[in-house]
Amino acid sequence: MAILELSGLTKRFGAFTALDNISLGIERGEVHCLLGENGAGKSTLCNLIFGVHRPDAGTMVLSGEQFQPRGPAEALQRGIVMVHQHFSLVPNMSVAENLMLGRASAVLKPQDIIVRMGQLAAEYGLEIDPDALIEDLSVGERQRVEIIKCLLGDPRLLVLDEPTAVLQPDEIDALLAICRQVALRGKSVILVTHKLGEIGRVADRTTVLRQGRIIETVTMEGADMRALVRSMVGRDVQSAGSVLAAAVDIEGKVPAKSAMDAVDPTSSGEAVLQISDLVYRDAHGLARLDGLNLTVGSGEIVGIAGVEGNGQTELGLILAGLASPSTGAIVVGGTPVTDCTPQQITDAGVGIVPEDRHAVACIKELSVAENLFLGAIGKFSRFGLLDKSARRKAAEAMMREFDVRASSPDVSMASLSGGNQQKAVLARELSLDPLVFLLAAQPTRGLDVGAIEAVYNRIRAARDRGLGVLLISSELEELMAVSDRIAVIYRGKLVGELSAGSFSREAIGAMMSGHAHV
Amino acid sequence: MKIPKFAEVARGARFDVRPLQVMVPVISTVIALGIGVLIIASTGASVLGAIDAFWDGMAGSDFNIGASLNRAISLALVGLGFIFAGRANLTNVGGEGQIAMGGMFATAAALHGAGDLPLGLAFVVPLVVGTAAGALWGGLAGFLKAARGTNEVISTLLLSFIALPLVYWSVESFHLLRKPISDLSSLPESPEIPDTTKLPLLFPDNGSPLHIGLLIAAVAVVAVWLVLKHSPLGVRLRAVGLNATASRRAGMRTSLHVVLAMTVSGGFGGLAGAIMILGQQFYLTSDFSSGYGFDGLVVGLLSRGSAAGVVIGALLFGFLRSGSINMEISANVPSAVVLICQGLIVIIIAGSTILTNRKASR
Repeated sequence: MAILELSGLTKRFGAFTALDNISLGIERGEVHCLLGENGAGKSTLCNLIFGVHRPDAGTMVLSGEQFQPRGPAEALQRGIVMVHQHFSLVPNMSVAENLMLGRASAVLKPQDIIVRMGQLAAEYGLEIDPDALIEDLSVGERQRVEIIKCLLGDPRLLVLDEPTAVLQPDEIDALLAICRQVALRGKSVILVTHKLGEIGRVADRTTVLRQGRIIETVTMEGADMRALVRSMVGRDVQSAGSVLAAAVDIEGKVPAKSAMDAVDPTSSGEAVLQISDLVYRDAHGLARLDGLNLTVGSGEIVGIAGVEGNGQTELGLILAGLASPSTGAIVVGGTPVTDCTPQQITDAGVGIVPEDRHAVACIKELSVAENLFLGAIGKFSRFGLLDKSARRKAAEAMMREFDVRASSPDVSMASLSGGNQQKAVLARELSLDPLVFLLAAQPTRGLDVGAIEAVYNRIRAARDRGLGVLLISSELEELMAVSDRIAVIYRGKLVGELSAGSFSREAIGAMMSGHAHV
Repeated sequence: MKIPKFAEVARGARFDVRPLQVMVPVISTVIALGIGVLIIASTGASVLGAIDAFWDGMAGSDFNIGASLNRAISLALVGLGFIFAGRANLTNVGGEGQIAMGGMFATAAALHGAGDLPLGLAFVVPLVVGTAAGALWGGLAGFLKAARGTNEVISTLLLSFIALPLVYWSVESFHLLRKPISDLSSLPESPEIPDTTKLPLLFPDNGSPLHIGLLIAAVAVVAVWLVLKHSPLGVRLRAVGLNATASRRAGMRTSLHVVLAMTVSGGFGGLAGAIMILGQQFYLTSDFSSGYGFDGLVVGLLSRGSAAGVVIGALLFGFLRSGSINMEISANVPSAVVLICQGLIVIIIAGSTILTNRKASR
């Protein structure tokens, strides 16, 4: 029996139809995945179910009764809970205190919460210290707190909006296991994602959305993953390149590296980046980078694999000139750039696609044109005043070349999708002159499949024109699909290296977790 | 070769004023003045008499118009300084202290040597010295921010608490700026500055006190507008204020921009202080600024970063100030009523930003 029955749901925002005639039943005890690219309407659908928005047409029936929530409070009351992409936890309060928020009746009873947490831990494996402060927890642990908050009230339906986007691989596994546990206990789970691998591991059924419509609903047993990708992106994956298939993580179908690269990379060129004995100690004296040695040659893509927090972020910051190494040396194309300012590093021919797009790569309140020329604001000036028409022309040309889609170069960066923002950042960094080396840190994080493909193509094109590329990523599939070599970082050191053709998930995974074998 | 497109620059160079942005302050002012009338009525004074006196004080004669405009000049300069720092997301609330420094050093320069300089340098030098003193005072806050991360709201405010007693000290001490005690005067104030150092009047024949500070302020308005909206520096200041890390990554020297923004901002305050002494008061007293720094801050706040808005706000507050002084003298209405009206205007405009912002985000 369907616990939630949607029929003919339509939601418009102004002239834009976000959801068009959605009919769907969520069964009791199932994990139902919503799959689709960014902007396909997944989040809007969740928000309708959770009462954040109200549908313009259509009805919802919850357990046989009409369901027209006037707000999240009503949805909660009827047993629907939701974990949003952005957490709503108070950082400087403890886990137990956060769980009590919003359910505080006349008398607060912390013991009751702790007892209930114990029950949930036993039932679902949701272990967490009730006294830990939220600000001390990792992202995965915070999400666990959100899920506990949802399960406290014994809900009927748990909605998770892109829960895995922020998680590390082992945390994703734990989350998916929790989803199964929840479903086993007769509750239903709606899981929003655009990662196919997760769907294969957890979903009972999957509904594919594209441009606000349901393309198909598939029972996962014996389903053809490739067909799902096709419905999701609306074209054949093969034509989009094998990169795409790898990006969406189709288990066991990652093509062998040698087959993917018919053309031999022009590798083994001269070294464009040489890092020797790099050590970085943080404010607490902890060695985040602990004697790292790395060489990137021209015309090759070197991937850095590793569990997050093993020094990748620090390496990225140092290469960008935003942090100074404690000891060690960095040379780019013969120029020493250790301890140099970002400007000097740029002048040496280094392009940087930083890990944190919003904090470092661009200024979202400024226009696209201003962001495209953020490092060269004075380039378009006349009598000391900005020549905005010249800048607009140059920006338009760059946007055409790099397929940055925006209505005009003058709209704010914030109005662009994540994919187009990243394309703009790539456009800026790849247009630097001189340019011998590119660092791309987590370049596809949060992007949809189409944009991921575009980013890969740009990175490969950069390699083919002779750049050395360092790709730092937490997505193993991404590294295996794009890199010519993969080095594994563990506790601030490179512990092993594999070259194209000999990539294996198992070997890399073992090294990532510290079981070094070279 | 392409001929420099000045016409194009000029065409693109529109003041960024949208109708709603003008209407909201106007309506706010009308509502606030209406409430002011009610308050006047409740004090028992003649409302018509008060309004008459108010109008007379604002613009009843050439002299009054000139005095009102002179007040607006100082307010506009402080307001410009505020929006200049604001472009870099810095809040300079130290206008009062920067005015004090500017006025004090301008007086010192005028009394000690500048008076004998030829070719108008007699008043230009004190103006420059006053500007530099204000710039130093603002730049100090900028330096603290860049080097130590000190919040500029706190540092500019506290620097004002240092500057104001410094002025007091200078007019209290005979070895500094205090004039010798005579039969006529024993007040703690400086001697009058030499005539050559006083700012030339624009209309010396009709008795208007309006001086060339008006031209200085006009140039400043255009300069600030060009720099903030149409120069690479304006974009850099904005970028640094919005996201220092991204700006640093893009090669900008963020600390330098913070210090620069605060220095220029303080310089405008110093210039305002110098003009107040050289243009109107002609001698230094310990309380010569009497709130222009804070009124200028409000002008800057209400302008929402637009130079044109600063002009409108400065004129409004300058004329209100003149009117209220006269209303107190001739109609026996407490000038506090006008202060209440000013407060109401600020609150209503600030509250109405919700309205305009909502419109803008659609």
